[in-house]
Amino acid sequence: MKVNSIQQQSQNYKKSQNFNGFIGAVGKFVEKHPVAITSLAASSVVAQKIVMSGSEATIGPVVDIAVGKAITKATNEKDGRTNQSSKVQAIRTFSQSLGGTITGVIIRSLCIGAMGFLAGKATGKLAQIINPQGLDKTKDMFKFSENVDKWGKSIGGAVAVGVMMFTNFLIDAPFINQINKHATKFVDKHSKKPVLAENVQVTEKKQDKEVK
Amino acid sequence: MANPPKIVLNLLKQLDPYKEAGSLLMVLNALGMIFAALSNTFAAASDKNTSAQDKKILVPAGLATGAANIGLYYAMTKKLIKGLEKSADDHLKTLKPDEIASRTLEFVNTKINKAQKGTLFGFGKKSAEYIDSMKNTLLKDAKPTDYALDLYKNNFKAGAGVLGAFIGAVVGCSILTPVIRDVSAYVVQKIREKKDPELQNKPYKPYFDPAHLKVRYHGKKQPLSLKTYMAFTNSTNMKI
Repeated sequence: MKVNSIQQQSQNYKKSQNFNGFIGAVGKFVEKHPVAITSLAASSVVAQKIVMSGSEATIGPVVDIAVGKAITKATNEKDGRTNQSSKVQAIRTFSQSLGGTITGVIIRSLCIGAMGFLAGKATGKLAQIINPQGLDKTKDMFKFSENVDKWGKSIGGAVAVGVMMFTNFLIDAPFINQINKHATKFVDKHSKKPVLAENVQVTEKKQDKEVK
Repeated sequence: MANPPKIVLNLLKQLDPYKEAGSLLMVLNALGMIFAALSNTFAAASDKNTSAQDKKILVPAGLATGAANIGLYYAMTKKLIKGLEKSADDHLKTLKPDEIASRTLEFVNTKINKAQKGTLFGFGKKSAEYIDSMKNTLLKDAKPTDYALDLYKNNFKAGAGVLGAFIGAVVGCSILTPVIRDVSAYVVQKIREKKDPELQNKPYKPYFDPAHLKVRYHGKKQPLSLKTYMAFTNSTNMKI
């Protein structure tokens, strides 16, 4: 059996304390902003996608380039292949998160709307799950529609994951490719050293020479 | 509407949105990540242009990267959600009944206002009948009902969980995923270069994407060169 050294154990303990400290700090924020926190409860996967991809579009490319630089430095790489690749990836991360958000938000919203509509019309066992208190549409209009709304969000979110397995190939992939193409051209046009285009030209020239 | 099969009904029970809004968001996000990782790996495994030798490295590497990514995201987010829900619950216990009542009243009034006016461009504006039903359910003699008090407490706790899910998604997607993807792709590339030293002179993509192995340029199969590589930087990479 492998036993960790005392130093390692204390480091692990410190790490877990740091994470608990972080949760504690966010917990304080929760206590101080009850109105904002309560309104978050109504969030669906659409809001999650916007928050997630919005941060991915801004932070993701920076992380990509930082990882590329860190690998280049750590491995003392001289030809800069990793650095260049990370620039390509940074543009790609941005394109993916932008394209993914647009299609993702539309598809998720449609699925949630459709499932909410169906949940309102459910009968039998499905109605018992959606409406466990057996609320009457005409008598408890508010409670009934709150139930249906929540179920629409959860079932719709789950259905959207299934739907997106297909739309990913049919819509996302070509759409993201187009964004990536234009983003790459834009970056090359506005950067002092258009690394991507330059490399393509160099390769083309080399290949031309080889042909000749 | 006909009843769905038993297995679907049981699955729907697991998606109970009343209690754990944050966990529900996390599970749905993790499901999307699992499907995305599986489709990437499946694409590598079924690609005709990838050699059997490469597949031996790429398929386990794709699965391992996906598992590490999803596992870390899940573990971190679950801890965050549970921790924040607990701290919200503890905070509610320290409040006096009067404080909870006044907070609930504020919450109810905001809710009623929103239903009357709607959000952007009047979207979500409710009928007078609905607002009457809302007032009857949530207020009694201008004081919040027991149902309204429970609704406020549940929403506060669920909101804290949702905040945890959002933080987890942001950290997971913007920091963990790129770091794991870029580092693992570098490691995989080095392993492949050891077996095939020619690869050292060719560029690689800094992420696990089997698409770059299928080198087709102008519809024809081509050897992997920088030109074909650049053409393929606009290739597909699955993401849900």
